[in-house]
Formats: sequence, C-alpha cells, structure tokens
Amino acid sequence: MLGFFRFVTFSVTRGLQGLRRNGLMTLAATSTMLLMLLLLAGFWLVQAGLAAGVQYVEQKVEVVADLHDVPGAEGALTVQAVALASDVAALPSVRSVTFVSKDEALSAFRDRLRQRGQVDLTGYLDRNPLPASLEVKLVDPRDYQDVVQLLQNRTHVVDDVVEVQKLVQQLTTVTGVLRTGGFVLLVLVGFVVLFIIVNTIRLAVVARREEIEVMRLVGASDAFIRWPFIFEGAFVGLLGAGAALAILAVASGPMTDFMYGFFRVLPLELGSLQRDVIVLVLGTGLGVGILGSWLSVRSYLAK
Amino acid sequence: MLELRGVGKVYPNGKAALHDVDLTLGEGEFVFLVGPSGAGKSTLLKLLIRDELPTSGDVILDGRDLARVPRRKVPELRRTIGIVFQDFKLLPTRSVRENVAFALEVTGTPRGRIRPAVDRALAVVGLGGQADQLPTTLSGGEQQRTAIARALVHEPRLIIADEPTGNLDPLISWEIIQLLLRINELGVTVLMATHNAGVVTALRRRVVALEEGRVVRDEVGGYHRED
Repeated sequence: MLGFFRFVTFSVTRGLQGLRRNGLMTLAATSTMLLMLLLLAGFWLVQAGLAAGVQYVEQKVEVVADLHDVPGAEGALTVQAVALASDVAALPSVRSVTFVSKDEALSAFRDRLRQRGQVDLTGYLDRNPLPASLEVKLVDPRDYQDVVQLLQNRTHVVDDVVEVQKLVQQLTTVTGVLRTGGFVLLVLVGFVVLFIIVNTIRLAVVARREEIEVMRLVGASDAFIRWPFIFEGAFVGLLGAGAALAILAVASGPMTDFMYGFFRVLPLELGSLQRDVIVLVLGTGLGVGILGSWLSVRSYLAK
Repeated sequence: MLELRGVGKVYPNGKAALHDVDLTLGEGEFVFLVGPSGAGKSTLLKLLIRDELPTSGDVILDGRDLARVPRRKVPELRRTIGIVFQDFKLLPTRSVRENVAFALEVTGTPRGRIRPAVDRALAVVGLGGQADQLPTTLSGGEQQRTAIARALVHEPRLIIADEPTGNLDPLISWEIIQLLLRINELGVTVLMATHNAGVVTALRRRVVALEEGRVVRDEVGGYHRED
C-alpha cells in the first residue's frame, strides 16, 4: 500500500516535470487537443440542436384530415365529422382529436396573415374557401398508420389526409444522415488527433531516451517507466479539456442566441446539455491523452 | 556465480556475434574481457544483463537460467547487477546525488532508505564533497565515479564495466581501475571489458580474450598472448 502510494507520487511528480521540461511540445499537444475538443463540442451542440428541432416539429405534428366542403350541407357534414372524431379518439394511438370548423380555419388563416404583415384579401371572397378539418394528436408521433387508414376509409366525410408525418420522416432521415456523417467525420478527426498526440508524446519520450535507458539498466520496472508518461498525457488531456470548456463557457451566450436563431428552438434544458458537454470534453481529452501516451511508450518497453 | 555454456548469438540480421562461448566467473573474481572491436564483448555483456538472449547455449547467473527469467522479472534481475559504461550515461540535469538516488527512486525504494544508501555509495567512490554538483561541472573521472556509485547503490554482487576508461586519460584511468579493485576487495565480482593494454598487463589478473566471437584465451596474464 505504502509502495503503491510512493509509486503514484513518483509518477505524478515526474509527469508534471515532463510537462514543464518539454514546454513547447506540451503546448503543441495541448493546442491540438484543444482544437479537437472544440470541434467535438461544436458538433455535439449542433447535433443536439438538430435533435431538439426534430423533436419540436414532431410534437407539433398531427394528422390532419380535410373534410369535404359542400355548400349548403355544412350542418350534416359537421354531425358526421363529430361522429368520426369520436371513432378516431377511440383508437389507442390517439391522444386527442380537435374539430376545426370552416370559420375557425378562416380566422386562424387571417391571424397568420396579420402576423406576417400581409394584406388580408379574404374579405373579397364570396364564400369561405377553407375546409373544416380534424386535427389528430398522437401518443407516439411515429405511430400514425391506424389513424391515417381510418380517416382515408371514411371517404364520405374526409376529402384528403395530410400526412405531415411523411415530411417529418424525411426530415428525420436528413438529420440522421447528418448525424452519421458528422460522427464519421468526428472519428476521422479523432484518429488524426490521436496520431498527432502520439507523435508529440513520442517526441517527449525520445527526448528522454537516455533517461529511459538508464531506468531500464538500473532495473526500473515497466510501470515506473510507463506511468509518468501516462500522467503527462493525462495532464495534456486535462489542460486541453479545461481550455476548451473555458472557451465554450465564454462563447455560450452568443452560441445560444445563434442556436435559437438557427433552429427556432432552445435545445433541451441547458443544464443537461452543459453536463453532457463537460463529461464529453473531459472524457475525450483524458482518454486520448492517456491512450496516446500508452501507445508511444509501448514501443520503448517492448523488448 | 556466473556461467556461460556453449553460448552462441546470431542477430536477426544474420550477423553471428558469438560462437560456442564457455566461461565461468567465480564469486569475488576480477576478470578482464579483452579483444578487438567487433569481437563480441558488448554482445556478451548484453547477454549477462538479459538485454539480449542467446540463440544457443545457456547463461546461468546465481543458478538461474536467464532465458527462463520471465520478462516481468528482468528488472529485479538487473538490480542485482551494477553496470558502468564508457559514456557514463549520467542525467545532465540532475546533481551527482540525484543521479545516484535515481537508481533507487525508479525502483520504488522507500525515501528513508535512499539517502543513507546514496551517502554510502558516494563515500566509497570518494565523491561526498561533490554530491550537489551537476555532472557537467565535473571532470571525466569524477563523472565515471558518479556512474560507479550509481552502479553500487543497489549493493550488487556483480559489476559489469564496459570500457569504463575508454574516455579517460591514463592517469584518471588508473584511478578508476583502483576504485574498481577496491570494490572488488569488498567482495563484489567485477567483469571489465577494456582495450587498455597497459592496465591489463600491469595488473596480472585473469584475462579472457575474445576474437571473432570465440574465447581464444582465458588465463592470468597480460593484454597480449605472452608465449
């Protein structure tokens, strides 16, 4: 136990010494690490924004059935529509059904025009052209087949089923491709960074070739040779991660504005996103630093 | 304490460095290993510290076949052997004391035991007064004495010296030899590879001569064959 404590103290002290003595290389490795981690965090945030955007759209989505619009038969159609609405509401996948009358549809349309500041020309129409509709909200937005089928079968009431879901699915596909592509890109960048870190630490190892040689000759075990470098790599990772998080903290204000402007939504609550990013950046920094050192010292020990 | 039986070494590049070498070192002996460059001296020394493994034959140290020592146990093996080189291999940014202590630190010796052991080793080589200087401020002889102190600090029973006087002028070389003889008198076995004909001839110790990877002479005498 005491021996282990001595070993850890030795390794940490020597790791820190190594950082100081190889100032320039430490700087190179740390800034490379910093860049990768920023890239990673940026990608993560954009990804989270996309996901939140999709989720937002999904929440708003419903199946909309436009009803037949026959002048003079509004009353009968409304009765049929209400009957259909209760049938639809009985489906297990449906959360709620709203009947939107022709008048309500028109006034909603006028509201939208006013919001956009466009001229309302509907007053010049001799009759309301908008159909009444049923708006169906689903328990699970992906589970829409039953509803659509039911609505499509009632052709005497339903004129057309607007499948907003199909649009969402296309959107999800696009974001899925973006996500996969981004992940592949990130893995590639990760490899390049690991390679650079390995090389940088290898330079540090080469700079202390004589020391390692002496250590081996006087009978130092592999652990005593390896761990100072591992700690050095871990410190580089921590430094890079700390710098990256500091930059992110400073940039988080403008970034949130941008996210809102771009995605029209605030992605998730910021608390959990922050925690994810911190864990991600620290974990990756440490991981790459440690792995890099491990790989670069290994070749000196394999004999 | 050390025995080589029919040892041969062929490097992966096909170069044969040693052929069928038989050699026995008794406890407390002082032996010179001589021979021209490329005769296989360095290879032989590397086999003793298990830096290389023989391609044939056995190297037995204290009854242990070195080829059977697992890689994990090699560091412990090396702590029982002190090694001294022509180029000293001191760490330039560390003081004499730190260089000697380094050998103990990197092998996990408790701090309380390091200081007295280092003081003892420095006293043996006569460098107590220069303990806090950097190697670069010392003469070649003092640097080599620092390296010898480092080799001694684990209290080894065998010291291997590879051309320890190769970089030193004749007078200083004698100092180093005297030091190694004194260490030998303390009961430590010494194997010294050297080109220094004057020293070898004057001391009349056991001389093992290698040529082209073979032992061509093993007797008490001088640097050159005397018959």
